[in-house]
Amino acid sequence: MSLDVKASRELQSEVLAQNLCSLCGACVGMCPYLVAYKGRVVALDECNLTQGRCYVFCPRTSLDLDLLSQTLFGVPYAADELGTTQQITMARAADDAIRAKAQYGGTVTALVSFALEQGLIDSAILTASDENILPGGTLAASAAQVRDRAKSNYVAAPTLAAFNRESGRDDVERIGVVATPCQALALAKMRASPLENRNNIDKLKLVIGLFCTWALRYDDLARFLAEKVPLAQIVKFDIPPPPANIFQVFTDSQRFDIPLDQVRPFIRPGCDVCLDMTAEFADISVGAAEGVAGWNTLIVRTDAGRELVEAAQAKGVIETQPLSAQNLAHLKEASLNKKKRGLKKVIETTGSEENLLYLKLGSETLAELVS
Amino acid sequence: MKEKDPLNVIVTGVGGQGNVLVSQFMGRALVRAGYHVTIGETYGASQRGGAVMSHLRISRQAQYGPLIPFGQANVILGLEPVEALRVLAQYGNPAVTVITNSRPVYPLAVAIGAARYPTVEEIMTALEELSSRAWLINATDIAVELGAPILANIVMVGALIGAGVLPLGPEEFELEFQESLPGDRLEQNLKAFRRGLAEAKARLPATPSA
Amino acid sequence: MSITAYEPGASQLLMGNEAIARGALEAGLGFASAYPGNPSSEIIGSLAEVAGEMDIHVEWSVNEKVALEAAAAASFAGVRAIVAMKQNGLNVASDFLMNLNLTGTNAGLVLVICDDPAGLSSTNEQDSRPIAKWAELPLLEPATFQEAKDMTKWAFELSEKIKNVCVIRSVTRVSHARGDVRLAELMPPGRSAKFAPTMLGQFTPLLVTLKHNMLHQKVKQAREAFETSDFNWYTGPEKPELLIVTCGSGWYYSLEAVRALGLEESVGILKLGTTWPLPEKLVQEHLARTDKVLVVEEVDPFLEGNLKELVGETFSTLGALTFYGKRSGHLPAIGELDPDKVMGAIGTILGRERAAVDADYAKKGQDLTQSLVQNRMIGFCAGCPHRATFWSIKNALKLDGRGGFVAGDIGCYTMALGPSGFFQIKTVQSMGSGAGLACGFGNLGKLGFGQPVLAVCGDSTFFHAAIPALINGVYNQANFTLLILDNSATAMTGFQPHAGTGASAAGEPAPNVDIEGLCRSLGVRVELTDPFDLRDTTQKLLDLMQCDGGVRVLISRRKCALVRAKAEKAAYKVWVDSEKCRGESCGCARLCTRVFQCPGLVWDSERQKAKIDEVICSGCGVCADICPALAIIREAA
Repeated sequence: MSLDVKASRELQSEVLAQNLCSLCGACVGMCPYLVAYKGRVVALDECNLTQGRCYVFCPRTSLDLDLLSQTLFGVPYAADELGTTQQITMARAADDAIRAKAQYGGTVTALVSFALEQGLIDSAILTASDENILPGGTLAASAAQVRDRAKSNYVAAPTLAAFNRESGRDDVERIGVVATPCQALALAKMRASPLENRNNIDKLKLVIGLFCTWALRYDDLARFLAEKVPLAQIVKFDIPPPPANIFQVFTDSQRFDIPLDQVRPFIRPGCDVCLDMTAEFADISVGAAEGVAGWNTLIVRTDAGRELVEAAQAKGVIETQPLSAQNLAHLKEASLNKKKRGLKKVIETTGSEENLLYLKLGSETLAELVS
Repeated sequence: MKEKDPLNVIVTGVGGQGNVLVSQFMGRALVRAGYHVTIGETYGASQRGGAVMSHLRISRQAQYGPLIPFGQANVILGLEPVEALRVLAQYGNPAVTVITNSRPVYPLAVAIGAARYPTVEEIMTALEELSSRAWLINATDIAVELGAPILANIVMVGALIGAGVLPLGPEEFELEFQESLPGDRLEQNLKAFRRGLAEAKARLPATPSA
Repeated sequence: MSITAYEPGASQLLMGNEAIARGALEAGLGFASAYPGNPSSEIIGSLAEVAGEMDIHVEWSVNEKVALEAAAAASFAGVRAIVAMKQNGLNVASDFLMNLNLTGTNAGLVLVICDDPAGLSSTNEQDSRPIAKWAELPLLEPATFQEAKDMTKWAFELSEKIKNVCVIRSVTRVSHARGDVRLAELMPPGRSAKFAPTMLGQFTPLLVTLKHNMLHQKVKQAREAFETSDFNWYTGPEKPELLIVTCGSGWYYSLEAVRALGLEESVGILKLGTTWPLPEKLVQEHLARTDKVLVVEEVDPFLEGNLKELVGETFSTLGALTFYGKRSGHLPAIGELDPDKVMGAIGTILGRERAAVDADYAKKGQDLTQSLVQNRMIGFCAGCPHRATFWSIKNALKLDGRGGFVAGDIGCYTMALGPSGFFQIKTVQSMGSGAGLACGFGNLGKLGFGQPVLAVCGDSTFFHAAIPALINGVYNQANFTLLILDNSATAMTGFQPHAGTGASAAGEPAPNVDIEGLCRSLGVRVELTDPFDLRDTTQKLLDLMQCDGGVRVLISRRKCALVRAKAEKAAYKVWVDSEKCRGESCGCARLCTRVFQCPGLVWDSERQKAKIDEVICSGCGVCADICPALAIIREAA
């Protein structure tokens, strides 16, 4: 089990040129050659190196899921619908103010603020958007800063660029990251990387993953929306649960309901080959609770994650309740469907089950998924 | 000393080293003394880092063309050591005299780490193999000592004239300085020139040659 | 030393161009005009130096067409005038010349064209001599420095005799080489300039056929003068085995070649200084000496072709002749000549080979240079604003992501074709053609074109030729951005002043034409930027590329580094904090030395760190902004 080590040139030819990039941001913010710009990873020059962090960290290269699973959980990767789990419940922030701002239960905001206040982490890497709805990574060092950024994001953001940029600071020792599944994968690859340059990964203390089905391309969405409303007026987006099938755009005074089918063409092609809906390589994963407004689904995966959740519960920062069997079943089904869709797309792209592009799956796992 | 006619001298260096100044200065002194002089130069892009070569044709009898035929140089004056070698390979012959400055001007390829510049020892060994006499002069060090690195080329001219390979002596060249330089620069240039002469003298055999 | 510094009768070491200028002064020159162009610039340059002293008008014109027009006016008004240009300048002036030849001139007008064989400092290689045949004007080619002076002086007389332009064609190795020249008396110009036509259409080419007939008569007159010219001579045996017919720089090469081969007894040289129209009687006399003719000339077989034309008409009297030269392959049909090439040709024709140097030495030399000696790449100077501008262009085009590119033009910035400018320039032709091409690219939208177009030109180039293209772009609504790289200099050719630098050729204060105001008056969006502010310049480029259509202008303004160095001291002291320097590792990979490539940045391979060469560094501080580790420190000086 090992991660392939190549560099920028191969990253460009194997991932960027093949439209596999999910814009997680793991490859940018480390050097002057690769930058993220308006929803694209751009190579400004060639570094000509043969070994580089960009290639190793990328979740769309050499994804050895067994290795990553061993690294994080100490067990091999199984094609369980939800990955390695210790506990699955529903949760929400106890604080009304947090819940009022949040789009679901506000659990992530509550946990991250709590972790900061307790000193478990001293910095949190979150995602925030500018006045042109362009999202990017940002560092929050206080609970107040975390609460400011409590919002759901549907546009792919190179959040990990902020980790790369900020993790080297002397005043940053313990970092928490709120990560999409691909971002969590990239962080896991960073942990498992054989390169000498550790990229400050040892400072990473907490990963809170977000459930994710897909993310949108910035440039297409921005262009599309700019014709309907000045981008600077947009305050948030939402996608209500099925069967609504709409994409909601909110300004201070209005709400636009756009048929989701008009927005689907803007889904990043890199999302089509993703097998991870519930952010399987995080300490804790959080998503919506189907049919239960104002609550999140919470998956605890590691000891560190469990300790945080228990402490937060004990301090009355979050409330939990059991997840219904029906919800659990639906969640598993949705997650498995994403794996199958992703794998199908990969095989469609290569034309052969022998060539799984960037996926390094054990044959048993593959067989289970393909069936 | 028997005069070669035409005497073919090449002054070589990198753009900005004062190559053209030096060849013109020598040319003027020689014309004043009644010689026919032709100087051929490479111009234009040289200021942006390229190599510069001046061909001097010196004759009592006739005017010669601005390009020395291959292998026909009698003297090569290098303001830059690797340029002396480059020129030697094309225009030198076993009888040529080479006098070169020791201070490299690194080509861009070397500065950016894409190529290796030879050591001065390697260059000298090569120069010695390809000439009958090869001198290394620390002209830039001397010029820095005198307070003006740009005068390295004047030190080199001094060494060339001190070597006795041109048909004129130091006095005639000092006269040219006096004719062409304003007072404030004259003194410094003469100092540099004389240091060059001294360098040559130190390298000539002790007994006077025929 | 100025060209008037020495007394008549003295010998002065003069550059060929200086000798030409001196010859003009000895002929009573009153007016001189040119646009800088290598290898012609020193002609007007050395005249400008003494313009005040001689009380004559010398100007750097905005382009060669205007230069020729202005000089023609002087001639019309009875003032002897000279115009100088490189081969490309001739192309620019040719429309006027093809009317001037039919118009005729009044006081002597000499047109000097300096060709650049092998294009050592040019975008093309061009033999300009056919213009003489095309325009039917007498052509002179100086072969020596003395001749450069004497020919120019005589050219004014000839021009006045036939009342037409006299063309002198020089090449780099004559124009830029120096030799001792015996000086004659200077002649002050007449000072009774007056324009007074006496006949209808006198100063026009009309009536065309009438004037064309007159032109033919003038050619005849010139030919007659050429038959007895001192600029043509023969040296060699009565009946040589091989006759070399040569002109210009070929003379010295041929002379030296024959001597080096020891063939003075079997090879004769006919050196022609008057090469069009050919002095036919004279030429036939010498062609009759032998049956083998080697023509030695630069650049194209022009003289050879004309000789063959003559022989074609007179073959019955001359007998069979074999011609050798560029057509036969004995001399290369491209690039520059030198004595070794001529030696090689003669040797092959007469079966006499001669090695330049013994084979052992040659091999030793080759082995040693191959292993030790590198080519010196040319590139932008340390502190050059072009490097900074093209860095921003490179980044902006990459970030924009639509396959944008740069149409280039002529100046120092042309080096952006190569690594010094990050390979950003993709096209180069003639002055102003970057903007011209952009007009075309910018109107291909309806044909599927979707790439942002950037055109670059320098400040001097802008005045020379880009303005009409810019106006065309505005009028025809082409979609492109014109970047004017304003470094306040005509740098590549030697820092001559121009319409925007505020000084005249003679060094006096002059009106400063405002580029920005001119562009704004066209009603287009005009932005200014400081190329040393990389971030701001990049953002401005990105914004301008996003514009919906029409022409936009970005003026990137910063003084040329060499001009700056003369006028100011360095802005910053710059050094590398080697603790912070990442060197070759992932996260840097030697960005500053390997990619940015300023000569002030040096890679220390022993310590595996970058460092600043204090002698070369100009203290501009731009590199401090590209270092990813913030290891390059700049401190206000």
